[in-house]
Amino acid sequence: MTELTLTQQFTMIALNAQRSLEMTNAKIVALRCMAVAVILEVYLDSGFTQDKNKLVLKKDVLNHSHSIRYRETILQPLGHTIGDLSGWLKQASLLSKRKLIEFEHAISDSLKEMSLLEEIPHILGCDLYFHSAGVEIKGYRSHIQEYTMITEHIRAEILEDGTVTDETICMLWLLRESGCMHDFFSRNELEQVSARMYRLHQDNPLGKALYGIRIHRGIELAIKQFLRMKKVAVKTPVGSGLNFLFPILERSQSVFIDTEAMFSNSTKRLHDVRMRLESMDHAVKVLGDGTIPIIKIDNTVYEAIPYATYGRVPIHGVRLLPIHPS
Amino acid sequence: MSRQRSMETILASEFVSIGELVRLTESRYSTLKFYTEEGMLSFEQAEENLTRKFNRQTTVARILLIKELKSNGLSIPQIKETLEMDK
Repeated sequence: MTELTLTQQFTMIALNAQRSLEMTNAKIVALRCMAVAVILEVYLDSGFTQDKNKLVLKKDVLNHSHSIRYRETILQPLGHTIGDLSGWLKQASLLSKRKLIEFEHAISDSLKEMSLLEEIPHILGCDLYFHSAGVEIKGYRSHIQEYTMITEHIRAEILEDGTVTDETICMLWLLRESGCMHDFFSRNELEQVSARMYRLHQDNPLGKALYGIRIHRGIELAIKQFLRMKKVAVKTPVGSGLNFLFPILERSQSVFIDTEAMFSNSTKRLHDVRMRLESMDHAVKVLGDGTIPIIKIDNTVYEAIPYATYGRVPIHGVRLLPIHPS
Repeated sequence: MSRQRSMETILASEFVSIGELVRLTESRYSTLKFYTEEGMLSFEQAEENLTRKFNRQTTVARILLIKELKSNGLSIPQIKETLEMDK
């Protein structure tokens, strides 16, 4: 396992499956939290001195930040003194889109150099309409093994009794602020996590300083959460999701892959889907077969639900819906 | 302040946490938790609510053995049986 900084670890989670060339709403939320992770990383590395109730960035941290380019892109525009931890985190989250894009390039380059992040055709490009129109969409994919290790390590630390490290305390806060908690914890686990975070907020100095701070922007997060909520709003015998009714709302969550034959059987359907995905450089692993197979595509698990669209002629295929822990 | 231990430090330690075992063996937390609850991995715990500590060398070796047995097609009861005989 590679030793990664807090920002690099969070970036592996936050940028995974995001579109690399466009600035989507979900990516803005991710980038703001990644920028904030830089401040937390410096804070954990004792890069600040306390002056009354203000945190002052140590001069040597700023001077040496050019050696870690992604740090420089965040620290240079912020200056030396802003306020307390909350002030620093909020200022970092309010950086302009231009600065965030610069930061995105710096941090993604650092991960690409270690072969931990790559740009591949986005899964949306496998959708019938995008694929047949020849639209190329690029997306990020985090190294599958490393991604699993990072997320499983967080899960192990917070769901187990005992000490929680500072890195995990920060990661949980970042996951909360970026609205990603549901991606990694089931509903039952979320109750445990919530209770644990409450205890950390009471007893742990870092938890006390951090967990009361909110940096997320209500509107951005609300749009992100709405797009997720609509997925569970409708449950049908063959799956769940308002995507069946309004697939146009967020196509990336609802990919339709056409199959070669009409009324093809589940094995043939799965084969066709696999071929399409693999031809677009995606790593496909079948976790469960049957009428509705469960497949892991890169770092996300999907249900492949038989589906048909109707225009002049019906087109049969499968719709991919991401599964989150339930 | 309790910082995450580097891999170098973990590899030099006699005891590791379940989170560190996740990193060492590239296994899922839920898998290791299941093995622990099934008694397939032994641990030390000073008091309830304190971190469960696993002997690094023996536990890593055991997890690798379980993985190997699983890839050979053995079921969990069969693996448990094999581990019992191995003791």
